Amino acid sequence: MLLTLDLNDARPLHEQVAGAIRRAIGDGSYAPGDRLPPARDLAGALGINSNTVLRALRDLRDEGLLEFRRGRGVTVAGRPAGQVAGRALLVQRTRELLEEAARYGYGRDDLITILEELP
Amino acid sequence: MNPRVTASVWGLLVTAVQIGLPLALRDRLPDPMATHWTVGDRPDGSMSFTGDVLAVTLFWVVPWIVALVTAVEGRTLSRRQGRMVWWGGLFGMGVFAVGMNAGIVMANLDVADWTRARLGGLHPLVVVVLACGVAALAGYLGRGERDAAPNGHREPPRLRLRAGERAVWVGHVSNPWLVLATAVAGGGLVVLLALYLVGVVQGGTVAGALPGLLVVLVAGLLTSTVSVRVSDGRVVIGLGPLRVPARRIPLSRISSAWSEDRYPSQVSGWGIRGLPGGATIMLRGGQCLVVEYRSGGRLAVSVDDAARGASLINALLAERVEP
Repeated sequence: MLLTLDLNDARPLHEQVAGAIRRAIGDGSYAPGDRLPPARDLAGALGINSNTVLRALRDLRDEGLLEFRRGRGVTVAGRPAGQVAGRALLVQRTRELLEEAARYGYGRDDLITILEELP
Repeated sequence: MNPRVTASVWGLLVTAVQIGLPLALRDRLPDPMATHWTVGDRPDGSMSFTGDVLAVTLFWVVPWIVALVTAVEGRTLSRRQGRMVWWGGLFGMGVFAVGMNAGIVMANLDVADWTRARLGGLHPLVVVVLACGVAALAGYLGRGERDAAPNGHREPPRLRLRAGERAVWVGHVSNPWLVLATAVAGGGLVVLLALYLVGVVQGGTVAGALPGLLVVLVAGLLTSTVSVRVSDGRVVIGLGPLRVPARRIPLSRISSAWSEDRYPSQVSGWGIRGLPGGATIMLRGGQCLVVEYRSGGRLAVSVDDAARGASLINALLAERVEP
């Protein structure tokens, strides 16, 4: 699993990790039913606490992207492949768009207006 | 040399010797014949003449058929390590089978009954040494070309790293069968020791079963799961559920990485296979991450999502500022 973190990101670490995992699933490295590497390996590679990674994984489970199964570890949820991955990627990109908009002083409603103006 | 033709001819030759030698000397052999000797060259096992011929023939024919099937299937012979084991096994096993047959026939020749057959202490040693020598020679002669552009070699997709971004890759693989074998060995060990402590089993039984269980347990703990991570300028391969021992390879020692399909049949089994410079950490057949050292050696490890790991290693290598 390839994870990328933005060093200048001011968001809490667990949100950044959740975003990185969302992107990794979104770009197709994992199909539904595939097992994620254990949280402690992800934490070790990122040099952060396992609990932070676990918190990110739980957030993603609550979003419906991941499933926790006893004895099978953490797996990508079994909905149709493109749907889950595509939605995860869209959610992630939209988040990033929101942040970028905020940097230019635009809020959520401004973005919605822009979306509605598009053909 | 076509391996299939050579294996067929060699196999038929050995089979002919296995059956022909005892048959040709039938009037000079006792029935039953001594087939097993214990310490002090005392025969302690016998078989009827037919049983012996059948046993020595099957002892050769079964591995021969396995070798023929693997040659037809072709995957084993596609890699140098597989070829060396295949050629070495084919000829070493043949020499060993013929030597064993000849030893039994010579020991039984002209004796009144099987309890008087004497093998001579030196014969088994000579057969083993000869077989090993032939195996080594056959393996060397049959090694073929170096694995230059191996089968299933995949150029990893290029990855661009952006400034101010930290990228890590984590790969993981675990073989449920090896995990099961490890758990069974561990459980067996505990049960055995408990039974010994309460006095149900004797010390001799424990001593007999202990080495096997320990070997499976240790091998399983080392190679039932493996985790590979690429971060902080190095590749870390952690073996076993504890990730200990771990192999740490600084990126400065690596020249490139790619993913490749390798199978246990090509690297002669599961576990850590091959010699340093050409080793494979094999847990399951399929995608492997291969790292090539600047010194020319390679290390492969079977792991899921290997292509992405290779991409990251190459991207990090491309960014390195050489001292």
